Amino acid sequence: MKPIFTFLLVLSALAAQAQHRVSGTVLDAGTGEALIGVSVAVQGAAIGANTDLNGAYALSAPDPNVVLVFSYTGYEKQEISLLGRSVLDVGLSPAQNLLNEIVVIGYGTQKKSDLTGSVGTIKTKEIERIPTASVDQALQGKIAGVYVTPASGRPGEGAVIRIRGTGTLNNANPLYVVDGMLLDDASFVNPQDVESIEVLKDASATSIYGNRGANGVIMITTKRGKAAEKATISLSSYYGSQALTRQIPMANAAEFGQMYNELIGQTYFADPASLGTGTNWQDVAYRDAPMASVQLSANGGSGKYSYNVSGNYFNQSGVLRESEFERVTVRLNNEYQLNPAIRLGNNIAFANSKSQNPPGVLLSTLWMPPVYAERDSTGDFSDPTFFGTSIGNPAADLFYKSNSHTKTNRVVGTVYADIKLLKYFTFRSNFGLDYSNSKSRYFEPAYEVSVSQRNVNDRLEIGFNENQSWLWENTLNFDREWKKSRINVLAGYTAQENRFDFFGASRSNFPSGQDELLYLNAGNDTTQLNYGGAGDWAMASYLGRVNFTLSDRYLFTASIRADGSSRFSQDNRWGYFPSVAFGWNLAQEPFMARQRVFDRLKLRTSWGVVGNDKTQLYPSFGIIQGNLYAIFGPGESLNTGATLATLSNPNVRWEEATQTDVGLELAVLKGRLTAEIDWYNRTTYDILYELPIPDYVGSAGNPVVNVADVRNQGWDITLNWRETRNTITYNFTGILSTVSNEVTQLDARKSEVRGAGTASGDPATRTIVGRSIGDFYGYKVAGVFQNADEVAASPKLGNEKPGDFRYQDTNGDGVITEADKVFLGSSIPKVTYGFSAGVEFFGIDIAADFFGVSGNKVVNAKAMSRFGVYNWEKAFYDGRWTGEGTSNTVPRVTNGGHNYRMSDFYVQDGSFLRLRTIVLGYTLPKTLTERIGITRARVYGSGTNLWTKQAYTGYSPEFPGANVFSAGVDFGSYPIAKTMLVGFDVTF
Amino acid sequence: MKNIHFSAAIKPLLSLLLVVFFANSCQKEFLDRKPLGQLTYENFFQTADQAVQATNAVYNQFRAWDCVGLPYIGCTDIISDDSDKGSTLNDGPTVLEIDDFTFDASNSNFAAIWRGYFRVIARANVAISEIPKVDMDAGLRDRLIGESKFLRAYSYLLLAQWFGPLPIITRPLDGAEYYTQVRQPLEAVYAQIESDLLDAVAVLPEKSQYSASELGRATKGAARGLLAKFYLVKKDFVKAELYALEVINSNQYSLLTRYSDNFLPVGENGVESVFEIGAAALPTAVVGPGATPYNMVQGVRGTPNLGWGFNRPSDNLVSSYENGDPRREASVIYVGEVLPDGSTIVQDNPEIIGERYNQKAWVPAHAGLQDNGPGNIRILRYSDVLLIAAEALNENDKPADAQKYLNQVRKRARGTNNFILPDVTVTDKVQLRDRIYRERRAELAMEQQRWFDLLRWGRAASVMQAVGKTGFTTGKHELLPIPQTEIDLTEGGIVQNPMY
Repeated sequence: MKPIFTFLLVLSALAAQAQHRVSGTVLDAGTGEALIGVSVAVQGAAIGANTDLNGAYALSAPDPNVVLVFSYTGYEKQEISLLGRSVLDVGLSPAQNLLNEIVVIGYGTQKKSDLTGSVGTIKTKEIERIPTASVDQALQGKIAGVYVTPASGRPGEGAVIRIRGTGTLNNANPLYVVDGMLLDDASFVNPQDVESIEVLKDASATSIYGNRGANGVIMITTKRGKAAEKATISLSSYYGSQALTRQIPMANAAEFGQMYNELIGQTYFADPASLGTGTNWQDVAYRDAPMASVQLSANGGSGKYSYNVSGNYFNQSGVLRESEFERVTVRLNNEYQLNPAIRLGNNIAFANSKSQNPPGVLLSTLWMPPVYAERDSTGDFSDPTFFGTSIGNPAADLFYKSNSHTKTNRVVGTVYADIKLLKYFTFRSNFGLDYSNSKSRYFEPAYEVSVSQRNVNDRLEIGFNENQSWLWENTLNFDREWKKSRINVLAGYTAQENRFDFFGASRSNFPSGQDELLYLNAGNDTTQLNYGGAGDWAMASYLGRVNFTLSDRYLFTASIRADGSSRFSQDNRWGYFPSVAFGWNLAQEPFMARQRVFDRLKLRTSWGVVGNDKTQLYPSFGIIQGNLYAIFGPGESLNTGATLATLSNPNVRWEEATQTDVGLELAVLKGRLTAEIDWYNRTTYDILYELPIPDYVGSAGNPVVNVADVRNQGWDITLNWRETRNTITYNFTGILSTVSNEVTQLDARKSEVRGAGTASGDPATRTIVGRSIGDFYGYKVAGVFQNADEVAASPKLGNEKPGDFRYQDTNGDGVITEADKVFLGSSIPKVTYGFSAGVEFFGIDIAADFFGVSGNKVVNAKAMSRFGVYNWEKAFYDGRWTGEGTSNTVPRVTNGGHNYRMSDFYVQDGSFLRLRTIVLGYTLPKTLTERIGITRARVYGSGTNLWTKQAYTGYSPEFPGANVFSAGVDFGSYPIAKTMLVGFDVTF
Repeated sequence: MKNIHFSAAIKPLLSLLLVVFFANSCQKEFLDRKPLGQLTYENFFQTADQAVQATNAVYNQFRAWDCVGLPYIGCTDIISDDSDKGSTLNDGPTVLEIDDFTFDASNSNFAAIWRGYFRVIARANVAISEIPKVDMDAGLRDRLIGESKFLRAYSYLLLAQWFGPLPIITRPLDGAEYYTQVRQPLEAVYAQIESDLLDAVAVLPEKSQYSASELGRATKGAARGLLAKFYLVKKDFVKAELYALEVINSNQYSLLTRYSDNFLPVGENGVESVFEIGAAALPTAVVGPGATPYNMVQGVRGTPNLGWGFNRPSDNLVSSYENGDPRREASVIYVGEVLPDGSTIVQDNPEIIGERYNQKAWVPAHAGLQDNGPGNIRILRYSDVLLIAAEALNENDKPADAQKYLNQVRKRARGTNNFILPDVTVTDKVQLRDRIYRERRAELAMEQQRWFDLLRWGRAASVMQAVGKTGFTTGKHELLPIPQTEIDLTEGGIVQNPMY
């Protein structure tokens, strides 16, 4: 940071050399009223003044060519070059964002003031602040009701998003709509191309997406050029370094040796202390890793066309060795006005990404005994199987199993035509395409570290995937506007089809592992294996909506969508998803005309039905399983076997959610303070889940049946304060969401769902009616047995010994059984919140974002796995029981078994508060940059995840889980990194 | 201006309306999708190949964890006096419950064997119901159905010995029938087993009639042998004698010269094999498509590291052999012993007390890791059939014939060492019975037979008492508990066994 400050000081000193007197008046551009207290500042200098009661100002500028900045709360900021003038009168216009802010909604846009639904928005500036390849990571802590958990810290990785709670026991991911293309993920979108992200939360907003809207909808709109705007070329780049946010303190070699002696009850290590610290395997596996991005874009337009073209190169190394991500994205957004009636446009993105996938060493890095070095005295990788065959040397895995690469090409685009018909009609035909192919290559040489960590034959595996989706939407809009009333009617027909194909093959016996030989043909063709398959789905839909605004005060929306989905059998194919909503702009009422408090006061309420069709592609078919081989004869040849092994349910249908929302929007103090408060209640019905059938039926799996109901209820609150005072603009935004998640119905035959199986065989979670999805469930530890008498006198689970956990006999029946397990907390935060603050003065901008969750628990399941003598956490060493009176909280050293059952010992507080980003930027004075043809130049430094306050002893307590039943369970996940970077943005 | 609007706009609109209309009429077709690259129940069972595949899939289930993994070993050997849990002290607590008779109906091992063998039955039911509809060679069709009936009967016999009365399911169930099954009396279960085996005897070829590449499929001899064993369970000694002698007189089988060869690769599908489940370690995968967990579960734990070390031959078993009986050495791996292939010496593992392993589950080095177990699982050996014959003949008061078959088994065990295992000469029915029982234990130790023998002989209670398994309760533990989930899911339609 130091160089930037020095640079700044020098600039200020230069600017303060000459003097130029200037004065004028500032008026409201609409009413002509004088504006009092407007801040007038000289850009890039600490000089400024405020307008007086008549709107007049006067100041001395250091140079006749300075730029004056006029800012006033509730009005658009203006920057005007003085150009030697000594009198400068200015008219300011009321800020657009307050009165005429436009919001993107499904199949259209709407004035924020006319909106009856609950829609959260973030703009480009906030998105760009997080250095990430994935747009969804940038949403964390930004929109009330949107809970974002990084899928992991792996470079290029996205996030798991839950909008207003977890609404299903299945796939609870939202729908993405990128420039009108409906998608399941938006990983190809370069965050720096994004103009805005709208999150549709309530049914009034989402039901137009029918049976894909139940988990909420994320609308991503990319940047476009403006017609009649001169070409702007921007170059921005950053470079930074990432590091682990923290290490997990593990026992060192001496401590491990001591505990091993205690474990076996003998002196294996004669002098454990002499082992010293040994190897810190986290130092071996993790590193500081660079990341960088360069973006070049051009946008503008003239009369009949507009364009936005951008290219981006992003490169991120992972903090875990052997993990890399690299991506090139190119975007072309164009629009052409062919004639007054017809407008054509396109939004096309191309993304090419390459990643190197690290081997699975997240757990072995923690488990590997510290008594080993990476390699033994002969130079071979250390063989740790003395302590158990399930322990692999992570250094060897990183060495042998990291030749794993994936390359993906993806093109996503829409082409559309808008045709004006008669006077009030617009017809739009929108064709979207999403095509991607990816190629994976994995090569593992032959090697032997130990009997369980070896590869007898080298193997090259190549995989190809292709995915193709097209969407065609035809909509007709009727738009009519009167002075204060507006009506918009939408009707449409859409169709979408998706198909994916995959195949892969492998061979062994390659002459070497050199890159140029890693093609299947170089291997031995007698060792070849291959596989391939495909899947598809299709959907046809009708949609309709009416938006009606009467006298700017009374708002009404009704919509319906009919979806036909190929996933369901003919009898269950069509679903109908209606919604209605009302809004009332109280501030526009005549009786409110005199009040000066509220600039906006709006009440709104909505109700609607949405669906979730994210189940298997062909759930109603009985699939013949084809790999059920039998072995016959002395030749031991494989004989193909195939049969119906798993029963199906032909009556499967979509899940259906009804949602009610009541909202209040207000703006006071001339728009300085805006607030949006929503209460919602969403109940999902007919949730598909596997209904257990008796085992005598002989099915390998349970058929899925529409039976369960889940309710999510809560508050979304957004507060925003923005003000300009003198030459300083500052803002503060806070969001807060609460979710109460409750399963309201399960089948009587399966009144619980157990999930997240742990090493001891105990599932970590249990889901029952009346509690939230995936609540933790296990024994309560009442203490540690101090002596044999205590063991003898207490209720027991098995053959406990002194030093073992004394589990609480919660039902008081004198023995410890499954019935003594109790609920131990939920992974779903009671409250998620975020706040950010920003300040701008003299060209300096500072912004900080915080994100936090509270009221949730996490399970340290990685510490429960002991299939060998794994290393222990340092806290275990420090706290362990070594004899009567030594500990009543941490047990003696054992390896698996009693003390590793699911209990509250492994449940920890999952709350955290994180400084998500902090940015310090400086925009160079225009007077200086314009001389060299630069419109705007900004340099900045930023930090991401620099500070976290958490109770959890692992990396970060964010575990989205493989499914909704395993959220919050730490089975070892790629840790998120902290990042420090510097960058610049230059606009020509 | 307006004209331009119109002409420019109306054309695409018209064509679009056409398309929309077209799309509408094709909508049903557009939305009808079938699984790609996967056969469905609707379009399977068209060809003879598919009929064979559906039958192979029944055999496949026998290699599953539920059928031959630790739950199976636990409920056959470990539960008996032949072996202890083994492995390290804390490994496999649910199996320890079985060893000690401290289990209840929630013990996961019972659910596993119940589930595993009912899946065999379900796959057999699919084959038996659907194959008759396939247009194919009648001989092959009958044989395939016969194979499935044999496998179904074998599964039902195991389940009946473990659990007693059972729901009888002989065709794929409809959704409405999933929860409505009830346990049928043991006689009805036996009648079903008998009918399946008699059908199998009628249509299955003899072992010699199969080509080498088909060895391992159910044979007439296997069906007769299993029938003989079944009649012993039913205490129908006349029929047991009949079918055992039919196997013996078919001249399809003989004893291997060396007892220990039975459990080595050389003995797989050999002259002594009446029925076994084929397995293989296919070279290219860690867990290949031909693997079983059987060898891994019982493999030496420690150095060399061949498996998990469960199923420790008990002190009682080790001391039960007659002096010098070489079958003891062939059945038990001790610390310090050189493995059968001479590869390495078993080292002491300090984590295991009284370390010992089942040598019959040992397999030589193979492709992949432990979990790629290649050993065929021997279900019925010819020596077993000889001992069944001996047992039935003795009960039918034919001691001379009984002695003949008993002494065939002893002679082979003796090998060339005439100082051990002399011929049995007692003719007293009770004494001879004891000698036959004792021979069965020595001959078939650690082969998952002992528990069923004890139950059949009514000796489970006395033997458990004798070996100090005080957890055994007479009148209760002769049957395993029905898995609790079955009772819960049928809301009591499936009734628990007494005293659980």
